[in-house]
Amino acid sequence: MTTASRPAPPPIRTHKDGRNWVGKSIRRLEDPKFLRGRGGYIGDMTLPGMLHVAVLSSPYAHARITGINTDAALAAPGVHAVITGAQAAELTDPLPDFGPNPAAHTWRCLAVEKVRYVGEGVAVVVADSRYLAEDALALIDVEYEPLPPVVDPERALDEGAPLVHEDLGSNCAYERTFQFGEVDRDFADADVVITDRLRWRRSGGQPLETVGAIADFEVATGQLTVHTNSLSFTSYLFMVAGTLKIPANKLDIRPMPAGGSFGSKLFATKPAVIAAMCSRAVGRPVVYLEDRIDNISNCDHHGSDRVYDVQLALMRDGTMRSIKIDTVDDYGAYIQFGVGHHGNALAQVVGPYRIASVEYRVRAALTNKNQQGAYRGFGSEVNNWMLEQMVDKAARELGLDPVEIRRHNFIRDFPYFIPTGNVYDSGDYDGVLDKALKLAEYDHWRAEQVKAREEGRYIGIGLITAQERSVFSATEFWFWFDTPGAPVTSMPESVTLKVDATGGITATLYSCAFWGNSPETMVAQLVAEEFDCDPHDVSIVYQGSKNGLPATGPGGSRTTVMLAGAVEGATAKIKAKARRATGYMLEANPDDLEWVDGGYQVKGSPEARKTLAEIAVMLHLFKHSFPEDMESGLEESKVFDHPYTTMPSADRKDLGVFYPFMGHACHVPVIEVDIETGQVSFLSYAAVHDCGTLVNPRSLAGHIVGGTAQGIGTALYEEFVYDEEGQLLTSSYLDYLIPTAIEVPELKIGHHETPSPWTPHGIKGGGEGGRMMAPAAINVAVNDALAPLGVRLTELPMTPDRILAAIRAARESR
Amino acid sequence: MKPPPFRYAAPTSVEEVLDLLAANADAEPRVLAGGQSLVPLMNFRLAQPGFLVDLRLVEALTTLRTERDVLVIGAMVRQSAVERSPEVALAAPLLVEALGYVAHPPIRNSGTVGGSLAHADPSAELPAVALALDAELLTAGPSGTRTIPAAEFFRGPFTTALEPGEILTEVRIPRREGVGGYAFVEFARTHGNFALVGVAAVIEMEKDIVTGASITLSGVASTPVRAAAAERALAGTSADAATIEVAVDAAADELSPAGDLHGSTATRTDIARSCLRGGIQLALSRAQDRR
Ligand SMILES: Cc1cc2nc3c(=O)[nH]c(=O)nc-3n(C[C@H](O)[C@H](O)[C@H](O)COP(=O)(O)OP(=O)(O)OC[C@H]3O[C@@H](n4cnc5c(N)ncnc54)[C@H](O)[C@@H]3O)c2cc1C
Repeated sequence: MTTASRPAPPPIRTHKDGRNWVGKSIRRLEDPKFLRGRGGYIGDMTLPGMLHVAVLSSPYAHARITGINTDAALAAPGVHAVITGAQAAELTDPLPDFGPNPAAHTWRCLAVEKVRYVGEGVAVVVADSRYLAEDALALIDVEYEPLPPVVDPERALDEGAPLVHEDLGSNCAYERTFQFGEVDRDFADADVVITDRLRWRRSGGQPLETVGAIADFEVATGQLTVHTNSLSFTSYLFMVAGTLKIPANKLDIRPMPAGGSFGSKLFATKPAVIAAMCSRAVGRPVVYLEDRIDNISNCDHHGSDRVYDVQLALMRDGTMRSIKIDTVDDYGAYIQFGVGHHGNALAQVVGPYRIASVEYRVRAALTNKNQQGAYRGFGSEVNNWMLEQMVDKAARELGLDPVEIRRHNFIRDFPYFIPTGNVYDSGDYDGVLDKALKLAEYDHWRAEQVKAREEGRYIGIGLITAQERSVFSATEFWFWFDTPGAPVTSMPESVTLKVDATGGITATLYSCAFWGNSPETMVAQLVAEEFDCDPHDVSIVYQGSKNGLPATGPGGSRTTVMLAGAVEGATAKIKAKARRATGYMLEANPDDLEWVDGGYQVKGSPEARKTLAEIAVMLHLFKHSFPEDMESGLEESKVFDHPYTTMPSADRKDLGVFYPFMGHACHVPVIEVDIETGQVSFLSYAAVHDCGTLVNPRSLAGHIVGGTAQGIGTALYEEFVYDEEGQLLTSSYLDYLIPTAIEVPELKIGHHETPSPWTPHGIKGGGEGGRMMAPAAINVAVNDALAPLGVRLTELPMTPDRILAAIRAARESR
Repeated sequence: MKPPPFRYAAPTSVEEVLDLLAANADAEPRVLAGGQSLVPLMNFRLAQPGFLVDLRLVEALTTLRTERDVLVIGAMVRQSAVERSPEVALAAPLLVEALGYVAHPPIRNSGTVGGSLAHADPSAELPAVALALDAELLTAGPSGTRTIPAAEFFRGPFTTALEPGEILTEVRIPRREGVGGYAFVEFARTHGNFALVGVAAVIEMEKDIVTGASITLSGVASTPVRAAAAERALAGTSADAATIEVAVDAAADELSPAGDLHGSTATRTDIARSCLRGGIQLALSRAQDRR
């Protein structure tokens, strides 16, 4: 590690104690409107004269488009326009792309010349209704010349494999081997090396409302307004304007609540670009809202799809020394976020353990599938799973207790720089583990397991301890190449606070469409904490991008911490002005005033006091009572920048700090496997999370429950299955199986609070919740159950088919 | 996911239904019952009927009554109505138990008994139940009415003995009040989803000896099938654990279910074994409780 060149961390904060609102499980501000069906989703919105778009999708995984005839579709009733991929390529530039070489793996809103996966858009129809649009799609005649598909990620990298992008000359979009620390030395010193090959198959976030956009191009002014449930991404908006070939100041993106995202709407630009292109073509408002097939096959947000070869070097007493990770990740046909998913993995690659060195080889394979995007964890949850399977296997092979091997290796001194250069700000892994063992009744279940085995039943306990990195900084996108693409990136988030003449507070948010998370509740609680008001009295509004302040939006569990910083900053400005005003009103020295219970008063004489409402009305209406330089009103904004992110070292042996606020959790599912049917059922599930200071324990528990449910999906049910021809076999919920409330057990949830030294109130992010841990924990549990049969599952999801095949294979090899 | 254009009518009598089907024969007409299978197929454009004849206003198809020795269920009786009917609970508790596995309550509130049988999904519960209970299916068509035994009704995946222009009007199930035990057992990957395998079992006993067994499976072939080998293995025995294993093996040996993404042939056979054992055991224990 090149520790010498590290920039100093930010100053340590002191957090106030005796909080009134931060830490309370208040009811969410968002709930009443959504529970009453007044949420105002894309599907609820109709503009006068609005037309509807449907996308014709490719039935082939890989084929050349040799001709498209749209005459019949154009002549169909109610049709206003038909746009082919080739025409779209004239109307728009390629979509925003953070991939390694966008010029050679160019991604457009519709395919041109060749289709690269089943479901890729080939043409669009704009019609009076979605029905008529789909009728016209059936009349478009596309001639395809099928090409051999590339489906398996490892075969894709073979010499002579058919190319997904000819211009790239290879299906390997990115390859690099990183070395952090003295890997060879640590391997040489180790007593044992545990190896394994692991397979994590692709699944994805499943929003109830799919991605959609309503675009309204105003011919007279050239103004384009887009209402979309994608992340508004104020700071990166100019890229969408670029794709549409319009000046950024002519585009306004208005955030709409998303009926779920879980990452899958992160910077989703394609529906907005399609709607905008069509609106401009017909001069009327146009809606494009994906249907379920569009979303499953063409959302650009499939999750990770990795093959791992791993070696973990340990001492016989269980001390972990080093790890070599070699992974091929199946990115599908495009690679919009580059290998950022592996940056997320590298942020916490050693988990909660003191592992001195790491080798990380990543190869990004391009195949004929829908591309990867974001899914809760963004690739770090996959690393958690991989690492915990290795630790579990090591414990088994070394005959060590699975709890003790973890405890033995825990990091205990903070801040702690891991070999990759990222920092863990704080933590108490022993505290979390102790709580979890108790909550899970671990010893009880171990006893039950012994009894069950005697009865021929297969119960498994899946204890894992893992990290949840939070508050991402895009600096991680620049360290993949020797020349950084950009300097340190601040990923700002903004809040405006306005105190009206009655003292009522309105908070404006700038990129935060509601994603199923609770930005309104968070901001209201933080504001209430600062101003001693009731959080339900705080009014929250969202601003469109055009009049917006810099804002990045949710992603990488950053929203709450960043909003907390912005609220804190805006509050400080408001209070400074209010303090000064009170000084004039009371004819007191502002320095002698203190904020107490919603107002300023003179220290030592509390009867000399002005409430916020009294101060506000003066500032709004009676400016001339104040000195010349005080302006009317009481409204302030804060643009809060990422508090701690640094550049990588030139040799990339240290990637710098890019995900510094490190959460932690311990999950303990207890499951039973029916070895005749392969069915896995839950007997108990305990989860303890530490996300620093809690803002709202109840809403954080929601993230833990929802994330765990998704983790159960990843572990046991959900998979986008492509067959050998690249056909997507799971294009609806008939075959893409999501666990229901009945498959998801009731969780026992515990919280632990280890404040961050570097964030307001010590908050860390927790938005990715249980999905960071559940797949790892459930895999460990299944292997624990099946250990007496000599069975070990190394592939997710663990379907009955895979479990039974493994049991049969173990029987045959006996 | 929107259907192509179609014409629509909602007549009130069976005669009108048949006339409309005949008059629009060129449009590949279909009858619409609860729409819980047909409408998704139309939205996926896998079914593209040019004319839909909605049965929802045909009163004659909504009967639910017990005659002397049969339970009569009109084709348009909603699945949830059957599930909640005290008459059905007495006369055919197997049917009630099986309905609990059909989708979710809101779907059963629309879905009909006739629709499920006419749709003939090889994984569906009700066809296997109809077969196990020796139900008779009454039809009406251009050339009059027919009575078709369940064993002859299901011809293949989504294929029945119904002729073009012919509809299912009612199901007649022999009453089995107070005789024997029944069980419906299935394995579905998630609750309410179509099962990989289902087993319907009815077992009658006299003095601890099995006097009759009717056992059928869904999900293992192109139609529901009778586990005849298991029925034979149980008949005349006291059905102890060893005999049950023999019966399960005998039935499983005759199966070769097609594999798909949810389960290979071997997996489905293993699961069928588990369901057969579970179904037989549960039906037996209920038969024993009865005495
Ligand atoms: C999410 C979901 C889950 C489901 N899970 C299950 C399950 O687990 N098990 C299961 O068995 N089913 C399941 N179903 C299907 C459901 O049970 C349907 O209700 C049933 O299969 C069809 O009944 P219907 O009344 O809705 O018929 P429709 O959908 O209206 O019709 C189905 C077909 O039968 C024909 N038809 C209907 N009535 C007649 C008649 N009287 N004469 C001639 N032809 C007729 C129609 O023309 C059509 O071809 C599920 C459906 C959904 C949406």
